[in-house]
Amino acid sequence: MAYFKDADEVYRFIGKLFEDLADDEELAPKFRKADTVVQYSYRDPDSTITVQLLEGEDGRVDFGETDLEPEVVMSMDADTAHRFWLGKVNVTVALARGQMKAKGPVAKILKLVPLVKPVFPKYRAMLEEAGREDLIEAA
Amino acid sequence: MTGSFDVGEAFGARRMAGFKDFFQHASATRVVAGRDLLSSTGFELGKEGAHRVWLVTDKVIRETGLVDRVEAGVTDGGVEVAGVFDDVPQDSSTEVVDRCAAEAREAGADAFLAVGGGSVLDTAKIADSVFTHGGTAAEQEGFFLMPRADDEMGVPLPIAPLVCVPTTAGTGSEVSMGALVKDPVRKVKLEICDFPLFPRLAILDPEATRTLPPKIAAATGMDAMTHAIESYVSLEWNPFQEARSMQALRLIRSNLERAVDDGPGDEEARGNMLVAASLAIAIELGSTHAMSHPCGGLYGVPHGVANAINLPHVIRFNAEAGDDVADRYRDVCEALGVESGGSGAAVGDNLAGHLTQLVEGLGLPTRLSEVGVPEEGIPALVEGAMGDGLSLMNPREPSEEDYERLFRGAL
Repeated sequence: MAYFKDADEVYRFIGKLFEDLADDEELAPKFRKADTVVQYSYRDPDSTITVQLLEGEDGRVDFGETDLEPEVVMSMDADTAHRFWLGKVNVTVALARGQMKAKGPVAKILKLVPLVKPVFPKYRAMLEEAGREDLIEAA
Repeated sequence: MTGSFDVGEAFGARRMAGFKDFFQHASATRVVAGRDLLSSTGFELGKEGAHRVWLVTDKVIRETGLVDRVEAGVTDGGVEVAGVFDDVPQDSSTEVVDRCAAEAREAGADAFLAVGGGSVLDTAKIADSVFTHGGTAAEQEGFFLMPRADDEMGVPLPIAPLVCVPTTAGTGSEVSMGALVKDPVRKVKLEICDFPLFPRLAILDPEATRTLPPKIAAATGMDAMTHAIESYVSLEWNPFQEARSMQALRLIRSNLERAVDDGPGDEEARGNMLVAASLAIAIELGSTHAMSHPCGGLYGVPHGVANAINLPHVIRFNAEAGDDVADRYRDVCEALGVESGGSGAAVGDNLAGHLTQLVEGLGLPTRLSEVGVPEEGIPALVEGAMGDGLSLMNPREPSEEDYERLFRGAL
C-alpha cells in the first residue's frame, strides 16, 4: 500500500518541502544555480510538482497542472520520493534500477544531489510536527 | 522498514568490499576478436538478421581504404550495403544523428554497421534508435527511458541490429549501452543509456587500428586505462567489472606502449588493446571523467588526453580517503607493476607518479595549460565537474573547493 493516500497528501508534505526550500535563504540560491525547471512526476498516487530554479529569479513551485515548461522530468513512485527525502534512496542505484527515470539534461539535477543532505532532517522534522511518524516508520 | 537515520544511504555510503546491497552488471554484446575478420563482416551481419546495412563512418577513416575493405566483406557475406554515411565529425551532434537516421530510412536499410572511433559509434547507436522508434535525437535523451512493452514498465523494445567495428582502442562504446553526442541547440551533451543500445556485435580486428596515428593510439589507450582504474575504484564497483578492469589493466600494461611505438608493425599489441578497451568500459566511473567532460565541452580537449592529465590528480585525492579506497589502488598498482606498500597517500603518489611518467613517455601532454585550458576557465570547469553525475560515484565526495584544487593542480 502506498504511503500517501492521495495527491493532496503528497503536496502537503513533499510539495511543502519544495516550497520551504524555495524560501530558504541559505539553500535556495544554491539550488537556483541549476538554472532549470524540473518536474517531478509521481505515480501512486498520481501527482505532479514543478519547480522553477532559475538564477536571478524567485523560486516557484506548482502543484498539478502548470504553465511552466520543464527542462528535466523526473518520474518515480511517490513512495520512492518519500524515501529519498528521508535519506533512504541512493540516486545512482535508483536510476540504474529504473526506480527513478530522468528525462532531459540530468546533470543539471544530479549536481543538486550533494546539496540536499541538510534537507533530510527538515523533511523528517516536518513529518514529526504534523504527527505523521507513521510515514517515517513505514519507509 | 525502520531504523536509524543515516543520510549516507542516499549517497551510496561507501562500501568498497564485501557483498553489496545492490549492483547491476550487463554485457549483452557478442564479441568476435581475431585476425582477418573484416572480410567476414557480412557473414557475421547475417547472423544478426541484417540484409541491407547502413554503414556509418567518417571521412578520415574512409580515406584510409578501410571502409572499402569492410564493404567488400559485407557483400561477400551476401548482405547489401544500403549506403555509406561518412559525415560524422570528431565531436558528433544531434543534427548529424538525425540526418544519419533519415538517410538510412530513405535508403531502405534494416541494420547499422559503424566503423570508426567513439564519435562514429555513438552516432550510429543514437541514429539507430531514432531510425527504429522515430522522433529526434534530442527526444532519445535519458537514462533507461527507451520505449518498453507493458505500458513502459516491461522489456525494452529492441532497435535494428547494430554491429560495431572500432578503429580506436579506448572508448569501449562498441560493447556499452551508453552514447553521447552534443546538442548544439541546448548547448549540452546529450546522454542516452539503456539496454537496447548494447550493439549486437563488436568485431575486434587489429587491422581496423593499423593506421591509427600514435598520438591517438596513446590518448585512446589512456582513456581505456582511466575506465579500468575509475570503475575499479568507483563507489558503484561490482565484482564483474572488477574482473574486467583487472584483466584490462594487465593487457594495457603489456601492450599500450608497444601499440603506440610500433602501431603498424605490432598487430598483437593493437589486438590486445582492442580487447582491453572493450573490457575496461563501464558506466560506473568517477571524478576523473567528471573533470574531463567539461575540459572537452568548454575547451575541446580530446577526451583521452583530458583523462590522461586529470587521472593522477584524482588518484592522489582519492587515495587519502581511507584504507578501503587505498586498498583498491593497491590492487591497481599490483596489476601495473607499481610499488603498492605504504600509506594511502604513498600508494596514491606511487600510482600517480607512474601514470604521469607513462603519459610523458607516450608523448602526451601532462598539463591542462598545454592543451588550451586557461586559468580563468577554472570556475566554469568546477561547475561542470560538480554537475556531472559521475561525481556521485567517486569514492571521495568532492566539494567545489576540492575540484578547484584538482583543476589548479592539473593546470
